[in-house]
Amino acid sequence: MPLTFKHHRLSNGLDIVAEINPDAYSFAAGFFVKTGSRDESPDVVGVSHFLEHMMFKGNDKLTWEDVNRVFDEIGARYNAFTSQEMTCYYANVLPEFTERAIDHLASLLRPAIRQTDFDTEKNVILEEIAMYLDDPGHKLYEALMEAHFARHPLAQSVLGSAQSITALQRDQMAAYFARRYGPGNMVLSVTGQMEFDEVIRLAEMYCGKWPTVSPSRDNPAVIPSGKRVELTDPKLNRKYLMGMTPGPSAQDERRFAARVLADVIGDSDGSRFYWALVDNAIAEDADFGFYPHDGCGSFYIALTCSPDVTEKALEIARAELEKVKIDLADDEVERAKNKIASSIVLSGELPIGRMRAIGSQWTYNGDYRSLEQDMATLQAVTPASLRQLMREFTFDPMTIVSLGPS
Amino acid sequence: MPDKYFQHSFANGMTLLAEQMPGMQSAAMTALIPAGSGTDPDGATGSATVLADLLLRGAGNRDNRALTEHLDTLGLQRSSSVGVYHTRLGCAAPADKVIASLDAYADILLRPTLPADGFEPARQLALQSLAGIDDEPRQKMFVKLREIYFPWPIGRNSLGSKQDLESMTHAGLVADHARRFVPEGAILAFAGKIEFDELTQQIGKLLGEWPGKPPAEMKTTPATQTYHFEPQQTEQTHIGIAWPTVDETHPDYYCARIAYDILGGGMSSRLFTEVREKRALCYSVSAGYASVRGIGCVMGYAGTSNERAQATLDCFLEEVFKLSAGVTPAELDRTKVGLKANTIMSSESSGSRAGAIAHDFFTRGRIRTIGEIKSGIDAVSIDRINSFLKDASRLQPTIVVLGPKELTRKA
Repeated sequence: MPLTFKHHRLSNGLDIVAEINPDAYSFAAGFFVKTGSRDESPDVVGVSHFLEHMMFKGNDKLTWEDVNRVFDEIGARYNAFTSQEMTCYYANVLPEFTERAIDHLASLLRPAIRQTDFDTEKNVILEEIAMYLDDPGHKLYEALMEAHFARHPLAQSVLGSAQSITALQRDQMAAYFARRYGPGNMVLSVTGQMEFDEVIRLAEMYCGKWPTVSPSRDNPAVIPSGKRVELTDPKLNRKYLMGMTPGPSAQDERRFAARVLADVIGDSDGSRFYWALVDNAIAEDADFGFYPHDGCGSFYIALTCSPDVTEKALEIARAELEKVKIDLADDEVERAKNKIASSIVLSGELPIGRMRAIGSQWTYNGDYRSLEQDMATLQAVTPASLRQLMREFTFDPMTIVSLGPS
Repeated sequence: MPDKYFQHSFANGMTLLAEQMPGMQSAAMTALIPAGSGTDPDGATGSATVLADLLLRGAGNRDNRALTEHLDTLGLQRSSSVGVYHTRLGCAAPADKVIASLDAYADILLRPTLPADGFEPARQLALQSLAGIDDEPRQKMFVKLREIYFPWPIGRNSLGSKQDLESMTHAGLVADHARRFVPEGAILAFAGKIEFDELTQQIGKLLGEWPGKPPAEMKTTPATQTYHFEPQQTEQTHIGIAWPTVDETHPDYYCARIAYDILGGGMSSRLFTEVREKRALCYSVSAGYASVRGIGCVMGYAGTSNERAQATLDCFLEEVFKLSAGVTPAELDRTKVGLKANTIMSSESSGSRAGAIAHDFFTRGRIRTIGEIKSGIDAVSIDRINSFLKDASRLQPTIVVLGPKELTRKA
């Protein structure tokens, strides 16, 4: 794969990371801002995500209609997303629109946050909150994060609540923006077909005058609650259950082993959970996964089944988590590694996927990892490293939240 | 055809398609077998869904576990699903691994074990999925919309009915497999790093002996209902709207694609602008071209809090009716740029190309090249699209509302 990495830092501190693929048909660019719900004080819960919406409302040069129209004029696949710890704005275009894409994304990131737009958009956010209340999976996930992380800032909801959004003021948002959005807390990730010198010139032209910010992020120790929470909704047919337990962080070298272990235990096909729970139809879905966060991490269980068998399914899942510590076999580790290796090759062919991968990597770790490095690190994972990992992360305590009809 | 597209027909009625993608390490396969939910036997709806599960529980000399472990050892990213016309099997991985999996896929197609002890769990999983639809109001609304909009059984949920799933037998399923899993009408499509001559030889060796038999036929009856209210205590009201347009083989197909993209395709679409950005009536609102073979339609959606639902429906329909007055040259231009860019960017994924050429062959009887799609989009002029929209204005939308309160359609 002929991919080349380049890095440049503007004088105001904006990092530009690039992975150039001359075979690609497209160019992808994304601004990754290291800010999310975990960086919000209790009086502005939901502001990161609401602010992401407000970026699309324009500034002194652009109306909200211009913002969306320009993206369409250049045929961009574009969007933005907010998580607990990152907010990202991106566009994937044909190489002929490289300049307009960078210009436009940069323009987006200097919003006016007008009071009238703020008031209108508040209703859209309230609708989005209502939409997720009809989604049992999302409701359960938010309740799990809240229960597991307890007093840690990762417990905070990304969307916020109807109450917190209603109470939020325009000036609080503007202050949050000024504190968190700027070089020093963001990276521009570009991938695909490009001339890197041209990208630097454009970034200098459109972002070179942005003031530097230097916010900090609290990273208190996680004290997992390990508690059990039962939520009910009489309308539901099935029961949804999630469990969460500590795992390696996004900075931890053991995260590669953690990903392999998660696939061994809970991939959607051919994993231990698959054979113990899905193949025999005890559960419709039974996943085990790994969430690396900034400074901490989690493994999680997710089960969907009939309400009457939920306890049995959970018992089986927990028994598998104990069993794998004793009888992990070489060939199941090999299979999980092969599946991950395929996904590395496939993702390397898509500029938009690589843009997200190298942008996140830089945001979390301040470095670049090539596909070859990822592949080599994956190949170096052994059954022994998985066993070691399970001595260090024992799946205990586990916070459990369920949502069902009774 | 340009030299990167390939097609070969086998004597038993099966078609092999390929698109060579330079610079790629990966390959992807899409196999369409003419056993879809549309030809599920009377009284055994959901049969194709249960079969698609059972099919992967052992084949050739590999039992359930050995088959899964073999495909996982190759590191394949696998998928399977059931549509109206086909059971679809797919995989993607580095190209050599996809090629190495072909003998196992031949076993799955020709020599599945269909084990009796796998039947009950396969059926239970289908029943659980069916129960799950009720827990997701938006999905439930769409199931209902397809059911009443399309001719029966095209719109029928591929999971079948609870009653039919409960009365299904293993013997019935095995008989159904023998009737419907046939090569005539089957399509095998590959994209990525492919050597077509070798591939043809290998597929010929593996599947050429699959005895030809005519595929099952589907009898349809026209839809009659145009409104349905599904009462449910939900946070939001979920509104689905569908109306007819040209099918994919029609000369005005690209007009329809573009016109309904302008209506509801992206963040600068009319629906997004009017319903969400200007009036903030909802978070999610969209519409777009949808089709099954020979039937083109537009499907739209809006999810909104219950007190704003009536205003949302009114505003949505107003935009639909307004469209018959035509679109602006600026709207046309930017939508064309977007569709062309999308087409080119889809050439970066072997999986999406394998799916696209299989779909093209089924709906049009041939592969469309990327160049042909681009010229089709280019050929849509402002006069042509506006005359299309004028003629297309005799629409009678079908509406499904799911939520606590019924809505009315303004005259």
